[in-house]
Amino acid sequence: MSCGSGDSSCEKPRRRSALLLLGVMALIFIALSVFSFLPSRGQATPDAVSFGPYQANDGKRVFQAYNCMGCHTMVGNGAYLGPDLTEVYRHAGPAWLAAFLPSAGGWPTEAAVRAQLLDPNQHADTGTDTIDAYLQKYPGAAARIQRRGGGTTLMPNLPLSKDEIGQLIAYLKYTSAMNTEGWPPKVEAGTLDRRLQLAHGPIALAQVVPAAAAATTPVASDPAAWGAQLVKDYGCVACHASDDKKLVGPGWGGLYESSVSLADGGKVSADDAYLAESIRQPNAKIVAGYPPGVMPAYDTLLKNDEVDAIVAYLHTLEKQ
Amino acid sequence: MQIQYQTQRLSLRFFMLMLVLFVVQVIYGMILAAQQVDPTLLQGWLNFNVARAEHLNLGIMWIVCGFIGAIVFVAPLLAKRELVAPWLIKFLFYAVIGIVVWNFFTQFLAERGIAGWWLGQPWLQQGLEYLEAGRIAGLLILVGFLILAFVVLRTFPRVREWNEVHWGLGLGVGALAVVWVFGLFYVARLDLQEYFRWFVVHYWVEGVWEVIHISLIGYFLVLMFKADVKSVGFAVFWGIALVWLSGLIGNAHHYFWIGTPEFWQFWGSLFSALEPLPLVFCFWHIYLDAHTNKRPLENAPAFYFLLGSTVLELVGAGILGFVMTFALTNVWSHGTWVTAGHAHLALFGTFGMLGIAAAYYATPILRKVPQFDPRLGKLGFWLVFIGVLGMAFAFAIGGTVQVYVYRILGLDWFGGDVNRAMGTYKVMLPLFGLVLSTGAGVLAYDLFTLGRRMRPQAAVDAETTPHPATGWRRPLTGFEAGIWLLLMWLFGTIITLGLLSFNLPHVRVAGDPTLPYVLAGVGYPGLLLVTLLFVWRFIASLEARASAPAISPLLRVLPAQG
Ligand code: HEM
Ligand code: HEM
Ligand SMILES: [Fe+2]
Repeated sequence: MSCGSGDSSCEKPRRRSALLLLGVMALIFIALSVFSFLPSRGQATPDAVSFGPYQANDGKRVFQAYNCMGCHTMVGNGAYLGPDLTEVYRHAGPAWLAAFLPSAGGWPTEAAVRAQLLDPNQHADTGTDTIDAYLQKYPGAAARIQRRGGGTTLMPNLPLSKDEIGQLIAYLKYTSAMNTEGWPPKVEAGTLDRRLQLAHGPIALAQVVPAAAAATTPVASDPAAWGAQLVKDYGCVACHASDDKKLVGPGWGGLYESSVSLADGGKVSADDAYLAESIRQPNAKIVAGYPPGVMPAYDTLLKNDEVDAIVAYLHTLEKQ
Repeated sequence: MQIQYQTQRLSLRFFMLMLVLFVVQVIYGMILAAQQVDPTLLQGWLNFNVARAEHLNLGIMWIVCGFIGAIVFVAPLLAKRELVAPWLIKFLFYAVIGIVVWNFFTQFLAERGIAGWWLGQPWLQQGLEYLEAGRIAGLLILVGFLILAFVVLRTFPRVREWNEVHWGLGLGVGALAVVWVFGLFYVARLDLQEYFRWFVVHYWVEGVWEVIHISLIGYFLVLMFKADVKSVGFAVFWGIALVWLSGLIGNAHHYFWIGTPEFWQFWGSLFSALEPLPLVFCFWHIYLDAHTNKRPLENAPAFYFLLGSTVLELVGAGILGFVMTFALTNVWSHGTWVTAGHAHLALFGTFGMLGIAAAYYATPILRKVPQFDPRLGKLGFWLVFIGVLGMAFAFAIGGTVQVYVYRILGLDWFGGDVNRAMGTYKVMLPLFGLVLSTGAGVLAYDLFTLGRRMRPQAAVDAETTPHPATGWRRPLTGFEAGIWLLLMWLFGTIITLGLLSFNLPHVRVAGDPTLPYVLAGVGYPGLLLVTLLFVWRFIASLEARASAPAISPLLRVLPAQG
């Protein structure tokens, strides 16, 4: 048989044995695959994980819908603009995530995380109600607050709704619970200070670390300026815009002395008393178009003069 | 040379579309590279993830256009008859344009978090790396692949008459469609989702595309050098056999850390370490086949790109893939820029260059300008070649720094720690990207206007100026080519050791990065420079043939009869 003319093949017998070998390998591959997903492996699955009322299954859809994998890696796959998200829940915890996700353009401060801890879902999930216990349990949150808190991030603000945030937290809880055979590898290079020093050298370190601490001196002499600082520290701006745009909650621009329609059909004038009450007990009067129970009650978090300062700041905001 | 079958003409439009998409894709690449330097750039208008989705999808699309063009060009030659149902191929062309435009708009929905859920499937976009397109586009793409497979398989003769090239292309176009199906289901479990996502990505590039690649390279060598079909068939057979025998279980190198059991680390490390074998084989064959005769190159740019494609398949895919394919090295490289270096050199180098080679081979024939001016094509080749080597360098070294800061030191603040350390390489990336983009522009201009420009006399003169075939231009012997190959693997070994050295307590616990940095600092530049020099050397030796004393007509015909 001639195969030089290109009309027929001269590798027929070898083709048969190669195919046979390939078949054997396919069988091995299929067997390994079946073993990989048997329940006996005990791998975490999304339908078994939830955060409060939110399901990890739904969170995965949110994660895909926003294409988070287009900037981050998940189990190491994806893009390299931002950090790997597999274990972020385990390191930083749900309250830090809840404070961060609504306005990802800024890093949450300690106060903002503390406000999230008032949420009963957080309480149930973390088993802690004080910020100190929380930071103890999630050292990643402590390191983030200390080094970055109050600074701007490189991530864009995404129009995530309250529910989507809860679902995402459930999903990240699921990925943290997964057994990824020890990846990412454990860090064994010593304390954070030592590692920072190794990365940046002692001199450059001075420029990297301090930033956040300096920012929070109260400006009691100018209540509006103080209020502007407070709304940042407490993470209010995660959900509220300073103009009249609707984020998670209503925008503040032009709110003072306007007439607000409430969910129960009533109307109320946004005077000082109303504003202060909406900060302390936001669920007392729900604005039309918003679900109740979204905003934490700041009653126990803010002192009287702090609430006054925030109200003074709200006076200054125009509609635009 | 002339075309023998009218339907071969249909390939031209795919080549032109390929060039347009290529240029748009590198523009997106430049945007990404700039956003890596300043992530707030265009934020809110074109977020990084949307630009990246476009960059990846267009990259796949233009490479597929190159495949379609090449296959449409050679299928009638292989079948010795016209394509059946050419209208389907015309329809496919508009379908591709439609899908690209549709996907351009739907990817933006990721900024609003809209995936288009319906019946449990994301119809508009689905936010999975490489498979960002939503179900609507995905199903249309499946139809496109089925059309291609149908036309090719119906055009080919009966299976009994197939030679290895028929087999390679026939299996290739069929498998292209089959593998894609695994990306068309929503999977709720993350581990299972990644498991199936790599079915598409890995089995495409390391299963199907490599098979199409090796068959097309083989056939173009037959066309260009009158290489013996039998010996090419031998190479194609062993190429395909080795690709599948190593790559089938080799897929396990993606299953180390996605939540699947530990035993994959054994299987993946073992079998994927064999994946470079067929690539070495193919590399060796282009050396042999280009030396079946001593005639001058008729179509220099086409050969440049064929050579580039084969060499970068060995270096970018084979060697840079090999270095991170062991569980002990992958644990560090995984999820860093190190993988992106491999991705660019392998994907653009191997498959991108093949499409461009095919376009350079086919266009002068289709436009009836066999004596075209090859200078712009050569310039374009050197620009994209140097550009992509430089980009691989920036990614790989930047990635090595990233491994140290992010994984060894565990600093996960990109704005404050990681980017700061990677800064130099993040700036280097767009610089080399600009070289590649310029090359892309030159190639697109040249191929668009090829045959429509006047050929300046100077070009003709320059070509006939004799070069002495000595020194750097002396004929390349098999021994010398072997030495080059050995050097490449030597540097590949150094890179592997560099990644392995992250496991040492001295690096991991004491935090001293010197050893991995030195090994990477020697390995990557060494490998990329050897690659550059080898291609230069190979080409110089072939170019010198043009000036070798005219061989008597009798001798010229003889080897072609083989
Ligand atoms: C022409 C053929 C090839 C192409 C186009 C190619 C391309 C790619 C691409 C695009 C990725 C994904 C990068 C990412 O998204 O992070 C990848 C990953 C990978 N490739 Fe290849 N590749 C080829 C051949 C090979 C070969 C032959 C090997 C092994 C010897 C290999 C080993 C790997 C490994 C280990 C990864 C996983 C990186 C990780 O996620 O940790 N590749 N390749
Ligand atoms: C001007 C030229 C180019 C530039 C500047 C460029 C730049 C980039 C950048 C910055 C990324 C994102 C990496 C990250 O997530 O951090 C990327 C990803 C990618 N690009 Fe390009 N690119 C260029 C050309 C190409 C070409 C020609 C191809 C293939 C045909 C290609 C294929 C890819 C792939 C497969 C990825 C994903 C890599 C991975 O995940 O590991 N790029 N590119
Ligand atoms: Fe692979």
